[in-house]
Amino acid sequence: MEKDKKLSPKTSFEDALEELEDVANKLEGGELGLDDSIKEFEKGIKLARYCQQKLEEAERKIEILQKGADGEVKPGRVAVKPDTGEIENEEDLQGSLI
Amino acid sequence: MEYEVKPRFYTVAEINGLIKSEVENNPYLSSVWIKGEVYNLTYHSSGHIYFTLKDDSASISAVFFKYANKNLKFKLEDGMKVLVFGGITVFEKRGSYQFNVLQARPEGAGELQKRIEQLKKKLSEEGLFDQSRKKELPFLPARLGIVTSPTGAAVRDIIKVALRRYSNIEIIIAPAKVQGEDAAATIAAAIKELNRPQWNIDVIIAGRGGGSFEDLMPFNEEVVIRAFAGSRVPIISAVGHQIDHPLSDDAADAAAPTPSAAAELAIPVKSDLANEIEYLKTRMLNSLSNNYMNYKTALKNLVSKKIFRDPYEILNSRQMLLADAESRIVNQMKHRVSSEREKLLRVPDIYRLQKKFLGQKKHDFELLTQNLNNLSPLNIMSRGYSIVLDRNRSVIKSVEKISQGDSVEIRFSDGSAAAVVNSVKKEN
Repeated sequence: MEKDKKLSPKTSFEDALEELEDVANKLEGGELGLDDSIKEFEKGIKLARYCQQKLEEAERKIEILQKGADGEVKPGRVAVKPDTGEIENEEDLQGSLI
Repeated sequence: MEYEVKPRFYTVAEINGLIKSEVENNPYLSSVWIKGEVYNLTYHSSGHIYFTLKDDSASISAVFFKYANKNLKFKLEDGMKVLVFGGITVFEKRGSYQFNVLQARPEGAGELQKRIEQLKKKLSEEGLFDQSRKKELPFLPARLGIVTSPTGAAVRDIIKVALRRYSNIEIIIAPAKVQGEDAAATIAAAIKELNRPQWNIDVIIAGRGGGSFEDLMPFNEEVVIRAFAGSRVPIISAVGHQIDHPLSDDAADAAAPTPSAAAELAIPVKSDLANEIEYLKTRMLNSLSNNYMNYKTALKNLVSKKIFRDPYEILNSRQMLLADAESRIVNQMKHRVSSEREKLLRVPDIYRLQKKFLGQKKHDFELLTQNLNNLSPLNIMSRGYSIVLDRNRSVIKSVEKISQGDSVEIRFSDGSAAAVVNSVKKEN
C-alpha cells in the first residue's frame, strides 16, 4: 500500500476530496482484507471530516476596500441583502481606490 | 404694362406629393449617413424601433423597421451617439417626414475597433493571451475578490449568486469606476490591490454589466489588459452581455459572458459538495459493512464445518487411526518374532554344540592342568625330592656352593627343616 499522505491544513479541499473518492473506490474494489478495509475506512472518515470542516472554514462576510485619509487601503464591513445582493448605504462608498 | 397673373393654386395633397417626389427621388436624401444622438427610444412590440435623432440644434424622427434592425449587433440606448444610414420618407397625409434607418453603428466604433485590433495584435505578440499563462481557477475559494463599481448591477448580481451557492463565502470588493475617462486606471489599481498577499484572495471577478460599446471600452484599455494578465490571483473577466467580447476576456484566466455567470464559474454550490462527501461516506460505509458481512459469512461457513461443531470427531478418527496403527504394529511384531523364532528353531542346536565344545575344552584344560601339576616342583618333591636353600633362601644347585658348618634350609613338599652341614663330598 502506498504511504498515506498526511492531512495538513495545507491540503486542498480538492485533493482531500479526490483521495476520499480513491478510498471509496478501493473499499468497493473488495480486494482489501478486513483489517485493511477498516484502516482505509478510518482514513476515509478522517478525509470526509476534513472536507466538511473545509466547507465551513470560510466565515460569511462582505467587505469593501476603502482608502483612508492616510492613503492606506482598509477593509470595511458592509451589510448586504442576500436576496438581491444589494449593498446597504452604497452611496457612502468611495467609487474607486484612486 | 400690368399683367394680371392668375395664381396657380395647389392642393395640400399636391404640394405634399411634390415634396415627397422631390425628396424621395433625390439621390442625396435617399441614401445618406446621419450622425446624431438617440432619444425617445421605443422598442415596439412589433419589432420596429422608433427614436428621435438629434444633435445640439435640431432633431428628426427615425424609424428602424424590423426587417432592417434584425441584424443589429448592439442595443440602442437613449443618449447613444450613432451613425445611421438610410433615406428620408415623407408622409403626404401629415406633411411630415422621418428618417428610415437601414443600418446603424455606434459613432466612432470604426476608429475604436481599429485601435482595439492594433492593441490586440501587439499584446498577443507579447504573449499576454497565451493559453500557457492561464491559471486554473481554485476548486473551493474561501475568499472572493470583486473588481467593479460598488453601485452597479454587476456587484449585486455577483454577491447574490455567490451567497446563494455558498452561504459562508468571504467577499472583498475593490471598488472601481467602470466607465468614463479614468475608469481603466481605477480598474487596474483595484486588480493590483486585490493581488496584495495581505488580502489573501483565492479568485477575482473583474467586470461590469452590459452597456454601450464605449461603456465597455475600459476593458479594452492596455493598462487594464496588463493588470488582468499580470494578476497572480486567478482572475475572471465578466464584462457586459453574451455578445460583448472585450480584450480582458482574452487576458483573463477565464471569461464569463455575464457577472452572474462569473460567480457561477468561481463559486461551487456548497450543498453539492456536502452531498458528494455524504455520498462517498455512504459508499465507504456500505462497502465496509459488505466486506464485514462477507468475512462474517465466510467465518460462519468455516465454524459450521463438522470439525468445529464436533471437535471430538477429529480425536475419534485420529484415535481410530492410532488404534489401527498400533494393532498393525503389534501384529507385525508378533509375526516377526514368531518367524524369527522359527528361523532360530530351524538352525542346528547351537546350545548343544556349544555345551559339547565347552565340555571338550574343559577336558583339555583338566589334562593340561594335570600335566602342569606333574611338572610342578611340589609335585616332584611329593615323590620324595627336597630342595636345599642357603641363608639367602637361594636354591643350592651345586655342592660347590656349600661348605661344612653352613646353616641351610631343607624344603619338603609339606614343610621345611633347618640343618647344619656336617661334611661336604664332591663327586665326579
